[in-house]
Amino acid sequence: MTLIFALAVAIVFGAGAFLVLTNDLVRVVAGMVLISQSAVLVVIASGLTRGDAPILPTGDKQPSDPLVQAMALTAIVIGLAVTALLLAIVARVRATLRSLEVRELARDEAEHTADLEQSLDEMYERLEPAEESEEQ
Amino acid sequence: MTALALALLLPWVVGVLLLLADGRRRVFGWVAVGGLLANLTALVVLAIDVLPDGSRTIVTGGWEGGVGIVLRADALGVVFALLSSFVVLAALVHEVLDGVRSRTFPALVVLLATGLTGLFLTGDVFNFYVFFELAMIAAYVLTAYGDDRHQLGAALIFAVVNLVGSFLFLIAVAATYHVTGTLSMEDVATRMADVEPNAAILIAVTFFVAFGTKLGLFPFHFWLPAVYAGTRPAVAAILSGALANIGAYGLLRFGAGLLPNELALGSTVLIVIGSASVIYGALLAVSRRDPAEMLAYSAIGQAGYVLVALGVGGPIGLAAAVLYAILNALSKALLFLSGALRGALVAAAFAVGALSLAGMPPTAGFLGKLALFRSGVDIGSVALVVLLFVGGALSFVYAFQLYQHEFWRGGRVHAGTDEAEINATADRQPASPVAVRAVSVVLALVVLGLGIWPEPLLSLSADAAAVLHGGATR
Repeated sequence: MTLIFALAVAIVFGAGAFLVLTNDLVRVVAGMVLISQSAVLVVIASGLTRGDAPILPTGDKQPSDPLVQAMALTAIVIGLAVTALLLAIVARVRATLRSLEVRELARDEAEHTADLEQSLDEMYERLEPAEESEEQ
Repeated sequence: MTALALALLLPWVVGVLLLLADGRRRVFGWVAVGGLLANLTALVVLAIDVLPDGSRTIVTGGWEGGVGIVLRADALGVVFALLSSFVVLAALVHEVLDGVRSRTFPALVVLLATGLTGLFLTGDVFNFYVFFELAMIAAYVLTAYGDDRHQLGAALIFAVVNLVGSFLFLIAVAATYHVTGTLSMEDVATRMADVEPNAAILIAVTFFVAFGTKLGLFPFHFWLPAVYAGTRPAVAAILSGALANIGAYGLLRFGAGLLPNELALGSTVLIVIGSASVIYGALLAVSRRDPAEMLAYSAIGQAGYVLVALGVGGPIGLAAAVLYAILNALSKALLFLSGALRGALVAAAFAVGALSLAGMPPTAGFLGKLALFRSGVDIGSVALVVLLFVGGALSFVYAFQLYQHEFWRGGRVHAGTDEAEINATADRQPASPVAVRAVSVVLALVVLGLGIWPEPLLSLSADAAAVLHGGATR
């Protein structure tokens, strides 16, 4: 059973990691969903026992581990909230950039940095002669 | 007991209520400040109770231990909680005085402080993850706060990279539960010694990667400069002064506290990665000219010092790591907050921060560097002492390069400003409001004060490290 879970986790995590590295922002979010689900699978697998419902133990069998289920539920809820947040950020990126591509995002940032560098260059050029005359 | 519950509940309630209010109105800004002040007061009361070597435990909801959520305050947790709350409070006051630009800013800052307080004061590995996500989600939204639209891209990268880190952390938590059968930190610490070494090492590595990503250590740093470069100074101060503490605390608590054997095994690796961080961060910081970017690379370097101290280990190394994390958080917050201001006394405040970063007496940063040197001498490693010296010299270079550009030559230039504007700003920049400047000056006085009268801080960090050392030998 552990082996099956391990394989499932590996496949889901791998697929998620692959999607995160793609060019499309929505796929990146989908990748994050898959990665979060693989973490939930690990949580479930970490305490996998077969037994009675822990809320009403009948006494003939050991109750199964309730802690794992509580953790998995919490992790799912957090994963959902995080997905909503990521989608909101992606929506805002689309509204400002009019694009959903990671490349576009990177290009925009590179341009921004270049602008910044250039304006700093100009400032330095302006400041250098002023400094020399002061020294004289 | 009550202080422990109040430290968490008060800001939580205030934060949730503030979400409904329009944070741009100054009244709600001050309500947020009030919430954080209450949090800080409760933490101080708790600290008086807990220090030097006690601990307080509370199980929420009146459940028996192991079922309910366990909050546990010991010296290490309280020290980090106090530090983070203080930095967040300073940044919030700064921003409220300067004018909040977004509806949700005060609420998010208060919720971030709640998450931080919770994760420093929890005694349960899984709750650590929950509080950690609470703080991180607030941080993801905060990074997008500001006037710069380029910030959105940075916020997205920040969120995605750190979420992968968070889920790796969750996987490591689940693995810890699988091999030890418990989530309580105390029990994990005792049972971890019997766990099969292979599994324990895998878990330790996963924890390390998760916290390394948070802290922005060298191989996991790539998201950090872009995020810091475009944010508002207050957010940058919160990120580097409070949020980065998660990484430092996590490495200390999980590395030295829960997995001491694995930490000892990997000490060489930690020292090598830490050294790479120190040199890489310092070199790139020297080469940058944009102040925020420079400080961002410097943050990578400073994170390296904490890791080196952790790698050295033992009472001296761990105390040095705690001390360095505290001082670095304070000086980074000071630098980010004062760097964007103009007017009398601000330059002096910035200079104090720069001196502290470079580790010059009489500022508090000197203590951190001294503790690191002592730990280097203690293990008799010449290479380490040389590395610390080179790193310190480089941080002196970039800190004063920054001071020179920002305060001696006048005009700060933003991308897109045209020539006339550059001329105008270079001639004379309007001074920032007195009240905003006062925040930076107070922070600077704290840094100076801790440097001149270091005894309380030294004993505090020794107490905090003793918690871990006690855990290791038990």
